[in-house]
Amino acid sequence: MSSWLDYTINGLIVGNVYALVAVGLALIFGVSRLINFAQGSIYLVGAYIGWGAVVQLHTPLPLTIIMVAAAAALVGLIIERFGLRPLQNSVRIAPLLATIGISFVLDQLVMLTFSPNPRALPSQLPDVRFQVGGGTIGPLDLLIAGVGITSALLLFVFLRYSKLGWAVRAASQDRDAAMQMGVDVNRVNQAVFGIAAALGGVSGMLVGMYYNQIDTAMSLQATLKGVVAEVVGGAGNVPGAVIGSLLLGLVESYGVAVFGTSYRNLFAFLLLVVVLVLRPNGLFASARQAPPEPLTGTFIAPSRPVRIPRWALAAAAAIFAILPLFPVSFYVLQTLINAWLLGMLALSLTLVAGTMGQVSLGHAALLAIGAYTSALLSLTLNVPVGLAVIGGGLMSAALGTLLISPSFRLRGHYVSIATLAIGEIVSLVILNWESVTRGPIGISGIPPLSLFGYDLVSPTSIYWFSLAVMLVLALLQGRLLTSHLGRSFRAIRDDDIAARAYGLSLNRYKSLAFIFGGFAAGVSGGIAAHLYSYINHETFNTQQSILALTVVILGGLGNVVGAILGSVALVGLPEVFRIAAEYRILIYGIVLLLLVRFRPQGLLGTI
Amino acid sequence: MSNIDRRSLVKGSLAAMMAGAAFSRAALAQSSEPILLGVSGPLTGPNAQYGTQWKQGFDLALDEIMAAGGINGRKLAYQFEDSQSDPRQSVAIAQKFVSDPRIVMELGDFSSPASMAASPIYQRGGLVQFGFTNSHPDFTKGGDFMWSTSVSQADEQPLLAAYAVKRLGLKKLAVLHLNTDWGRTSRDYFVKAAKEYGAEIAVTEGYIAEERDFRSTLVRVRDASPDGLILISYYSDGALIARQARQVGLKQVMCAASSVYSPKFIELGGEAVEDVHLGTRYFPQDPRPEVKKFIAGFKAKYGGQEPDAFNAYSYDAMNMAAAVVKIGGTDRRAIRDAFAKVKDVSSVIFGQATFDVESRRVKGAMNAELVVRKGQFALWDGKPT
Repeated sequence: MSSWLDYTINGLIVGNVYALVAVGLALIFGVSRLINFAQGSIYLVGAYIGWGAVVQLHTPLPLTIIMVAAAAALVGLIIERFGLRPLQNSVRIAPLLATIGISFVLDQLVMLTFSPNPRALPSQLPDVRFQVGGGTIGPLDLLIAGVGITSALLLFVFLRYSKLGWAVRAASQDRDAAMQMGVDVNRVNQAVFGIAAALGGVSGMLVGMYYNQIDTAMSLQATLKGVVAEVVGGAGNVPGAVIGSLLLGLVESYGVAVFGTSYRNLFAFLLLVVVLVLRPNGLFASARQAPPEPLTGTFIAPSRPVRIPRWALAAAAAIFAILPLFPVSFYVLQTLINAWLLGMLALSLTLVAGTMGQVSLGHAALLAIGAYTSALLSLTLNVPVGLAVIGGGLMSAALGTLLISPSFRLRGHYVSIATLAIGEIVSLVILNWESVTRGPIGISGIPPLSLFGYDLVSPTSIYWFSLAVMLVLALLQGRLLTSHLGRSFRAIRDDDIAARAYGLSLNRYKSLAFIFGGFAAGVSGGIAAHLYSYINHETFNTQQSILALTVVILGGLGNVVGAILGSVALVGLPEVFRIAAEYRILIYGIVLLLLVRFRPQGLLGTI
Repeated sequence: MSNIDRRSLVKGSLAAMMAGAAFSRAALAQSSEPILLGVSGPLTGPNAQYGTQWKQGFDLALDEIMAAGGINGRKLAYQFEDSQSDPRQSVAIAQKFVSDPRIVMELGDFSSPASMAASPIYQRGGLVQFGFTNSHPDFTKGGDFMWSTSVSQADEQPLLAAYAVKRLGLKKLAVLHLNTDWGRTSRDYFVKAAKEYGAEIAVTEGYIAEERDFRSTLVRVRDASPDGLILISYYSDGALIARQARQVGLKQVMCAASSVYSPKFIELGGEAVEDVHLGTRYFPQDPRPEVKKFIAGFKAKYGGQEPDAFNAYSYDAMNMAAAVVKIGGTDRRAIRDAFAKVKDVSSVIFGQATFDVESRRVKGAMNAELVVRKGQFALWDGKPT
C-alpha cells in the first residue's frame, strides 16, 4: 500500500518536469495559436548554456539561472523576429512548419558545437534527501516544483493584472481587433516568446541537473511530452498546462505500477486521446476562450495551383519509366525507389490533410501497419508477396481509419495532436504485442518482393514495380479529386458547417478519405518491408511522419503531382547534401525555412 | 517557376550522382589511390554520438596501420556516409557502396533496422557487410557476406550471469533492460543462464531508449524485493537508473552489462555508480599489450580522453578490416573468403581474434570482472560490496 504513495510522489515529480516545458508551450499557444515545436530545442539550448555556466564558469546557481534565462530569452526573441514574424500574414501551417525547421537548425547547431556525447550537468544544490514514503525527495525536486508552480502563478497574475498581460490576452482572442484598439501585437508576441523561451531554457537546465545528464537528443522527447501535457490541460491555458502535466506524470507512474515499464508511454498517449475525445478542447479550456478555429482557410493557402499540361506529365512519367535503360547507378535507382515509396505515403497524406483538411502527424503508423501485415502474411501464412502487400494496404485502410475515427470530431490543431498520439500508440502496441509482432526483436527474413512467382530483387525491377504502383495510385487519386467525391471532400475542408448544412455526412466522407489514403500508405509500408527484409517498431518513426508532412506542404496541399515532386525533392536533397555529412540536416532545416518563407503554398500550389 | 525548380532539382541531383560514379571508375585505375572501405553509420540524428565514437576508433587504427606501412604499401581509408541509422538511408548508401568499385568492404550500420534492411543489397551485390555493433542474433544469418565482431549475447550474458550469481552470490534478481532487439535478446540469454546457475528472477522491466525517469520502475523493483539489480543498459541510461535507484532508497548490489563500460558511466552516474559490478571485454589496467597500446594511442591522439567500449569496437573493426584486406586484396569476393582465413588478429576485445566460419562471428569473448571503486573502474578483488 505504501508503494502507492511512492508512485503518486514519483508521478508528481516527473509531472513537474513536464510542466516546465508545457507552460512555455501554453503561453505561446495562447497568444499565437501556434504549437511551437522549437520549444524543445530552446530547452536543449538552455541545458547546454547551463552546462557552460556551471562546468566552465563555475557560476553559483542563482546566477546560472539568470544567465540561462537571459540567453534563452534572446534565442526566443531571435526566433520570433526572424523566423516567425515574417510569416504573420502567411497561412497557419507556415509558422508551424517554421518551428519544425527552427528546431532542426537549433538541435544541429548545438550538436555541432558540443558533439552528441552526453555530458554530466552537476546539480549545484546540496545532496540531502528527505524521506517521503519509501522514497526520498531532494532539494532539486522541490526547486523544480517551485519553478513550475511559481512561473505558472506569475504568468497567471501577469496575464490577469498587468497591462501587457491584458494586451496578450486581447491579442490571443482577436488579433485584428486588438490591433485596432492600439495594442502593439508585435511587441506582445515578442514579450511572450521571450518569456516562454526563458522558461524553456531554465527548464532544460533544471531537468539536466535533475538527471545529471544532458544530450542533444533530449529536445524531441521534451516537446512531445510537453505538447501532450499542454493539450490535456487545455491548449493555451497556463494553469491547465501545469495540471495537465501533473496528471500526465501520475498516469504514467500508475501505468508503470499496474502494467510495467514498457507500457509507460502507451498510457500517456492513451490519456491524450481519451481527453481529446471526451473534452476536445482539453480539461481546463475556459468557456470564454475563442472556439478552436475550423480549418476554413487557415491551413490552406489561397493560391492558384500550377497546372502542368498532361503531355508534360506523361513525358515525365515516360522519362522516369525508361530511366533504368540508361547507365544510371543503382544508388540513383535506390534513391528514387525511396522517393516513390515516400510518394505513396505523401499521396495518402495529401489526400487526408490537403484535400480533406485533417492534418495528420502520425502517418508513419499507417506504414507500420501495412508493413507488419504484409510481412506477417507472407512469412507465417505463406501468402504470395504480391497479395500480401495488397493485404497490408487493406489492413492499413481498415485499421487506420478505425483508429483515427475518434478524431473526426476534432478540429484544427487538435486533429494533428490526436494523430500524433495515435501514431505513437501504434508504435508502442507493436513493441508490446509480442505474440504477434515479435516485440523489440522485430521481424527478420521477410521474403523479397515477387510478382507472379518471379522474385523482384534487382534494383531495376523494384524501381519499375514501385514506380508503377505509385503511378497507378496517383492516377486513381487524380481521378478521385476531379470526381463528385473529390469536390465533396474539398467542400468539407473549406467549410464543414456549410457542407453539413448541405447534407454531407462528415464522418462518412472523412472515413472514405482515410480508407483510400490508408491503402496507399499501407502499400508503401508493405513494399518497404519486403525491400528491407527486416523491420521492427523503430523502422517507421515520428521522423517519417514529419517528413511526409513536409513533403506534402512543399509540394502543395492536395496536389497529387506536388506530392510526388516533393518526395523526389526531399529524398533527393539530403542525398545531394550527403557530401556535407554532419551539416546536412542543418542545411535541410534552412532549406525548409526558406521554402516556408517564400513559397508557403507549396511549389505547385494547393488544389 | 516550379517547373524549372523541379527540372533543375532532379537533373542537378542526377547529374551530380552520375558524375560521382564516372569519377570513381576513372580513379580506380590508379593503384596509388587508397584502398577504400565504406562506413554506413549515424553522424546526425538520435544515435549521432556513436558515429562520432566510431570515427575516433577508426582514425586511431588507421594511423597505426599507416605507420606500419599500410596495406602492402597502399593506403587504407574509409568513406563515412551518414545514415542517421535510418533504414531508408542505409539502403541507399548500400546501393551507393555496391555500385562504387573503389569500395572493397562495408562497415556498419549501428542499429539493427538500418543494418539488416541493407543486408540483402550487400549480399546480392557481393560486398561484405562487416557489422561490429550488430549483436542481433539474425544479423549474420542475412547471408555469407555478413560478418560481425560484435560479441554474440549468447556468449556474453552467461558470463555476466556467472559473475552475479556464482561469484557475487546473488540469489533473487531484478533485471532492467533496454527494450530493443539488443536489450531483449540479452535479457533472454541472461535470464536463462541465471536460472541455470540457480538464481530466481523476481522481476524484469523493459524500458524504451528515450526514457529518463525510472523512479516508478524502481518502486516496482523494490516491491519485488530482489537482492541484486541487473542493468542491461547503455552507459547513459545505466547511469540514470543507478542514480535514481539510490535516490528512491534501493541499496541492493547492482551488476551491469559490458555496454555501460565507459568513463561517461562514472561521469554521469557520480557516486551512485560506486560499487556497481560489471563484466567488460577490456579495461585499461589490463596488462595485455593490445590494450595498453590502444589506450596509450587513444589518449595521445585525443588529448587525454579515456576511450570507451564503442571506441574499442571501431578500433578493432578497422584493424580486423585491414587484416582481411591484407589477405583478400581488393577483390570483394576474395575479401569475403579472407574472413575465414584471418587468424589471431590482435584485438582489444578478443585478444587474438579468429572468426567462427559457421556463425561468421568471433568466438571466445573474455570478461574481466570489474567494479567501480572511488570513481574508477577496478578489477574486482573478490570482496563482497
